[in-house]
Amino acid sequence: MSNPPTTYVIGSGAGFAGDRIEPAVNMARSGTVDAIALECLAERTLIAALRNRQANAQTGYDPRLRRRLAPLLAATGKRCRVLSNLGAANPAAAARAVRKLAAEAGAGDLRVAGVVGDDLANRVGEIEWMEPTAGGEWIGAHAYLGIDPMVEALAAGADVVITGRVADSSLFAAAPVHAIGLEHAALAGALTLGHLLECSGQLSGGNLSEPGVPDLTPEEYARIGYPVGELQRDGSALIRLLDGEPGRINVAGCTLQLLYEVHDPRAYITPDAVLDFSGIEFEQTGPNRVRMTGARALARPERLKVIGFLARRGLVADIEIAFAGTGALARARNAAEILRLRLTREMNESDLRIDLVGVNSVLGAASLPLAAEPPELRVHVSARCDDAQIAQMVEDEVYTLTISGPAACGSVRSERRPRIESITGFIPRERVPTHIEWGHE
Amino acid sequence: MTHSVSAKRVGSIATGRSGDKGDVLDLTIVAYNEKDYALLSRFLSVERVTDALARVAPSPVERHELPKLRALKFVAPRALPGGVQASLHAGLHWQKAAAALLLELPLPMEEQE
Repeated sequence: MSNPPTTYVIGSGAGFAGDRIEPAVNMARSGTVDAIALECLAERTLIAALRNRQANAQTGYDPRLRRRLAPLLAATGKRCRVLSNLGAANPAAAARAVRKLAAEAGAGDLRVAGVVGDDLANRVGEIEWMEPTAGGEWIGAHAYLGIDPMVEALAAGADVVITGRVADSSLFAAAPVHAIGLEHAALAGALTLGHLLECSGQLSGGNLSEPGVPDLTPEEYARIGYPVGELQRDGSALIRLLDGEPGRINVAGCTLQLLYEVHDPRAYITPDAVLDFSGIEFEQTGPNRVRMTGARALARPERLKVIGFLARRGLVADIEIAFAGTGALARARNAAEILRLRLTREMNESDLRIDLVGVNSVLGAASLPLAAEPPELRVHVSARCDDAQIAQMVEDEVYTLTISGPAACGSVRSERRPRIESITGFIPRERVPTHIEWGHE
Repeated sequence: MTHSVSAKRVGSIATGRSGDKGDVLDLTIVAYNEKDYALLSRFLSVERVTDALARVAPSPVERHELPKLRALKFVAPRALPGGVQASLHAGLHWQKAAAALLLELPLPMEEQE
């Protein structure tokens, strides 16, 4: 048997379910990456997938599967492996759909593995939840799986690995770990690199504004390249763009992404290892090239994290109404006060949010002061409602402003959302068995 | 080197990013040199960051110093009650902009020398 390779190139093909399609296709066409991982599963996506599966047991995977994978698999064929959590609430059905799609797309006879086992909906009582769960209805519960079932699928010859809930860093680490081996530093490097890559454009210049440096231009943002990582056997890595693609990979951006959504930088818990980021160093080695060293792993956790979704009684009504022209700000403030007076007669103020889109709807009391009167703005109301009748009352109170409120308001838009809370829990890892379901079976 | 008397803000010398997991809000600030990292380490105390956050999302704040990375990390474990899905904000994901809570803070003049 030949020696394992010393370098493995893993590309970041997507950072959320609605991410762009073509960066991954460009990556595959370049012929320079060994595998592409696509992170496509947020809480919101998983909740939508669970609802779809409830309506039709053959669905429950990301509805963008065809749009995303048809061009990608046509470009990868068997040359480049693909891993994605777009299996969402039904990775086995997704694997069958991907297998069929690959044949249609001319990608050949791909071996497509579905990783099954994260779904713990029938076992919520076995999970140690961090918050009270009484009074809600479970929509689903999913363990964050680690690299093991994905490595198992790759070892069995999978060209494509489709999962449900797995840790994002593990999704990106599985292919390099399988190819290079499981040495301690390499595992830490692979997981840390995975953590960096899992937000796609956010590592290559997206969501990055720096003092004294102009942002990328609209033309650059519009076709920003997604990052690839070259992992070495010692756990160090080079993060870079594909040749010729626009973007910005620098030390500050890598540092922001390293610490993004991390709670303890000295103990970032993944299913495969607890990572210590405090020894990481980044070095700019060329334009859009940053070298990462110093990844460290502590022990492997004994328990897996679980995310559970609880539907609470009632719903959220969310409505906006616009004001425009001279005096729009004063009229909008007047309307916001009318709504507060009317709605607090029917509900607690703590179940209401009333603010002005264009003034203070994002940062609230910490918003920058207005420099000039806005030519138009929207009054926004969100209300936690016990039932649909109360939601209707809130909506009606906003509409009524068009007749009985300040002049020249309109363009009302409204939506209703279920009240869903995300609850974190833990379960011993040995209580979460996994298995592979192949797309051709 | 003298600085202009116009107010500098944290965002004049640092970049930042915010994220969320469950009900936890996290904010990262990264400086570009050792001097500014030292300045921000002094200025962005737990008390000051707690105050900046209190106007929007009251929560205790934990602070982590990462000198090798010239980064400060702030974690607010109860800033997003019920998680993103339970938010009453328009569009839910307001916290993607929450780094502005720190980047907009004016630096005191004595720190600008």
